[in-house]
Amino acid sequence: MENKSIWKKITSSREVSLLIVLVILCALITIKTPSFLEWANISEILKNNATTMIMALGMLLVLLIGGIDISIGSTLAFSGMTIGIMYKYNHLSSTLLGFLIASGIGIACGLVIGLIIAYGKVSPIICTLGTMYVYRGFAYLVANDEWAGADALGTFKDFALKDFLGINSAVWITIICYVVFFIVMKWTKFGRNIYAVGSNEEAAEISGINVRLVKTCVYTIMGGLSGLTGALMTCVYASAQPNMATGKEMDVIAACVIGGVSMTGGRGSVAGALIGALILSVISKALPLVGIDALAQNTVKGIIIIAVIILNVVTQRMMDKAALEKREM
Amino acid sequence: MSEYILELKGITKIFPGVKALNNVQFQLKKGEVHALMGENGAGKSTFIKVITGVHKAEEGEMFLNGQKVDFKGPRDAQAAGIAAVYQHPTSYPDLSVTENIFMNHEIKKHGIIQWKEMNKKAQEFLDELDADFKSTEEMGTLSVAQQQMVEIAKAISTGANIIILDEPTAALTANEAEKLYEIVEKLRDKGVSIIFISHRFEDMYRLATRVTVFRDSQYIGTYDVDKITNADLIKAMVGREISDMYPKPEVEFGEEMLRVENLSRVGYFKDVNFNVRAGEIIGLTGLVGAGRTEVVEAICGITKLNSGKVFLQGKEVNIKNPTDSKNLGIVLLPEDRQKTGLILSWGLGRNVTLPVFDRISKKGFCDEKKERDLSKKLLEEVDTKAVSIFDPASSLSGGNQQKVVVAKALAQDNMKVIIMDEPTKGVDVGAKAEIYSIMGELAKQGYAIIMISSEMPEILGMCDRIFVMCNGHITGELTRGEVSQEAILELAMEKGKESKEEVVS
Amino acid sequence: MAGKSGRTIANTIDQPWKKVVLSWEGVLVLLFIAINILCVCISPVYNVENLLRESPKYLAEMLLLFPMAYLLILGEIDISVGSIVCLAATMACMASNAGVPFIGVVLISILTGVVCGAFNGFVTVKFRELPTMIITLGTQIVFRGIAEIALGSGGSISLTDSSGFKMLNGKVGIFPYSFFLIIICAIVFTVIADRKNYGRKLYAIGSNAKTAYYSGIKVKQTIFIAFVVIGLFAGLSGLFLTSTAYGANTTTGKNFEMDAIAMAVFGGVSNMGGKGKLYGAFVSAFTIICLRIGLGQINVNSQVILIILGMLLICAVLLPNIAGMISAKKKTAK
Repeated sequence: MENKSIWKKITSSREVSLLIVLVILCALITIKTPSFLEWANISEILKNNATTMIMALGMLLVLLIGGIDISIGSTLAFSGMTIGIMYKYNHLSSTLLGFLIASGIGIACGLVIGLIIAYGKVSPIICTLGTMYVYRGFAYLVANDEWAGADALGTFKDFALKDFLGINSAVWITIICYVVFFIVMKWTKFGRNIYAVGSNEEAAEISGINVRLVKTCVYTIMGGLSGLTGALMTCVYASAQPNMATGKEMDVIAACVIGGVSMTGGRGSVAGALIGALILSVISKALPLVGIDALAQNTVKGIIIIAVIILNVVTQRMMDKAALEKREM
Repeated sequence: MSEYILELKGITKIFPGVKALNNVQFQLKKGEVHALMGENGAGKSTFIKVITGVHKAEEGEMFLNGQKVDFKGPRDAQAAGIAAVYQHPTSYPDLSVTENIFMNHEIKKHGIIQWKEMNKKAQEFLDELDADFKSTEEMGTLSVAQQQMVEIAKAISTGANIIILDEPTAALTANEAEKLYEIVEKLRDKGVSIIFISHRFEDMYRLATRVTVFRDSQYIGTYDVDKITNADLIKAMVGREISDMYPKPEVEFGEEMLRVENLSRVGYFKDVNFNVRAGEIIGLTGLVGAGRTEVVEAICGITKLNSGKVFLQGKEVNIKNPTDSKNLGIVLLPEDRQKTGLILSWGLGRNVTLPVFDRISKKGFCDEKKERDLSKKLLEEVDTKAVSIFDPASSLSGGNQQKVVVAKALAQDNMKVIIMDEPTKGVDVGAKAEIYSIMGELAKQGYAIIMISSEMPEILGMCDRIFVMCNGHITGELTRGEVSQEAILELAMEKGKESKEEVVS
Repeated sequence: MAGKSGRTIANTIDQPWKKVVLSWEGVLVLLFIAINILCVCISPVYNVENLLRESPKYLAEMLLLFPMAYLLILGEIDISVGSIVCLAATMACMASNAGVPFIGVVLISILTGVVCGAFNGFVTVKFRELPTMIITLGTQIVFRGIAEIALGSGGSISLTDSSGFKMLNGKVGIFPYSFFLIIICAIVFTVIADRKNYGRKLYAIGSNAKTAYYSGIKVKQTIFIAFVVIGLFAGLSGLFLTSTAYGANTTTGKNFEMDAIAMAVFGGVSNMGGKGKLYGAFVSAFTIICLRIGLGQINVNSQVILIILGMLLICAVLLPNIAGMISAKKKTAK
């Protein structure tokens, strides 16, 4: 009996089935290129995809409350560009301060979005479509036809080269973010309130949850994470340009969707977002290894997204059908 | 110490443009079950929301145990021991039962939620209510009755001593309602005071000791249940007397209009057979979930049949989608008016012509003038309470919305069979009588009518023949005159008994 | 069966003109005039001739506006159109360079668009559980991805023989061909939306798809057609874009979907479905284009223009909401 329920848990949990997909994926690639599973390679993948992985957390929250944020790429560019320019003109030298300022800008950007959506009742896609233009414009204004290269960034870029306990510092930030979010989403009132709002907004209101506050907080967190990754991306790639991370929002949404986060709210988990982002990262890294032209990367990525979401629906339908057939009459 | 645990005086609540409550009062004694009745739109739901702090009244005072209170929000009411179970289950379908019960009063230690303890506590509450499901199950997978039970457990979990039930039996079948009555009695015996809102007179007689009536946002009076007659109560609610609730005309039946043979849909119903003649009203009854709605939706092509034949006027027809059904003249008036019957944001006129605008049109261009004339004529025929055909459907009461749906069916001049799914659900007493009279008229005009209903009185009052469904099968056919409520109930639960007991044990 | 109470219900509207003037579309017309006055004041070279000279690349984008408005009215969205434009333009260039006669090039471009649109429509209709946002997010990446593969490592293609495309780029007097195409499209799309059965179906489905389905409206067919139409227009847009750029690259048509959505929403077409007028979208598009060109003429940074547009878009939705909330509050206060 106990065994059966564990088995049932595994097959019914989306996260576990995704994990199996990830493991199989890694195994296949390793057979083809044994070097894939070496720590250096994995570390490289994690470091390069830290931005997507961290932002996927914010997007998870946003999607959970039934929203969407397509301006995160712009927020990232705005905050990354701002500190890039500050380093370039020596207004700033401390690494920590750089991260703080970038996150602060992100939080401010997110707060504005949150207020407009929660209190101004503007639909999320329209609001963030607008802020996507606005924040990207700010990034260009701040840049003023310049960009910050490796030499301009000085010691800041060294942060991403440093290891701590054998793990790259960018990866550390990712890990910390995931641990914090995992705890918050599962074991705190705030985390559960987010699920409640996404599952049934009206009921949440009646239960005495401050829905608008929760919404504002979620978009602010999303903005904060975008700002943080703005700094992270600047130091990982040792450059800040106003057009950085264009279209990044789509990658992040894709990671969440692959990870089983519902676009209509209420469903999704931190583990799902993590696995979704990892699957996406592994695939983009693996394509050249298995001999697929780098040019075809996007096509493959898109096909996988479509395949995953369709497969999801098909399995759900099959499960429903099987349940119906079992029903005694 | 006051005699009343809860007392409200002179409550007035204004919404943009309307006075939803006008100087109403209410008194609740400790440990009593108090029914709150009135037609739809009388202000009952608003009143409840004032008590629970969701709405703030413009005027008036509220006393709890004799002390004046002023709720700023739902939280304050919760803290004061008031809990409400709303009409539409206000649950979180994606979350577990435990979370639903403990939403916003989670058990925490240092800000960390204690899942184990919460699951255990939730299970205790459920066991107390004799629930047949576990606290770790997902809310969305439960039946309506089970969800209601969770809502009640939620109310108990807040330690409430005043529990408000807003139309709790509306979606329940007879035996589910019986279970609910038992729970309410149990709570009452524990000293919990209960406010019970319902349209069903059965509920009130079964449970309440006193009843308060609202009408048109105003307080009409409070009566002892055993001292007021049914007719007086209806008069208090409606403001006039209703002489003949079920005006069933005697109609000569014509040819057989619709016959279905061995209809089956996997998991929903199996081998369903029935027929209906012109001028005849047949009833399709049974417990909610017996498969009644599913049968008619499959006949109309909304969902797919796995097997079976449908004959229209003796000829076999193949209906693949609602468009086919519309073109053949089989019209369904769906159960959920707001979600599937009407476009709420649209004017009444366009709602009426929605199924036929392409037939009226000329060369693909909509003929607005013809549409307006047609909808005006039909809306007046069914006596809709509206000012103009441009009034949005959302502005009407449930009963009037149902009339618009009827007008929408009448717009289809090729209509032969009319299927009404729970036509009086959520409709107040006054409008109910009007809808029955429309049904009678339609039968007289020679339409074949199929009515799905869970309400015994209307099935008994209106139908010529009654088909009872249970667990996806038709368990019996009864003819007018030879039926009794008991006979129907017996058929409705025939096969259900075994499976029900199975689940309980 | 006459109504028992003898109650009559009106079937005419009082002062229909008042409704038009006080609507969002009325506000837009005023805004359009205001912006033109502003542009004339700030830019010495702002006149019809210059406006039209700079318009073709915006007009190519505007082709997507009307079908996008249809999708929004349906409550759907298509964020893959920019990629379809890119793919169609790429295919057109490649066909042209391979020596296909121009009419063939046109057909290939349009066919590419139609096939892509049909694919989006097919998946949407077959899997109604999925939001179109996410379906077209996937196809957005795929369609552009295919163009990227076709374009190869260089990432761009130039026309070797642009004679056919030059024809598309022709003018009648000072008016480019695409201007007439836009006007015709505006009229046709508006008439269909407001007067034809198909338009009624659009609004019915967008307002309440379930009720529409129960009422016997062919929901899937209607949605599928809308997706094919937007694909077709993306193909056309790709053609006109190629005729102004004499080539295509991996960024061709980027953000077109966002611009089209922004124009439609600014024009009062709600992305929640069932609301908005086509002529509103049309006026809003011209307002935005005039503002862009006017500000561009006085050398306002294109990024600043983006900021202004973004803010305008948000304000267009936010301000009416706030006004509504304030008036609701005032009413309760009384």
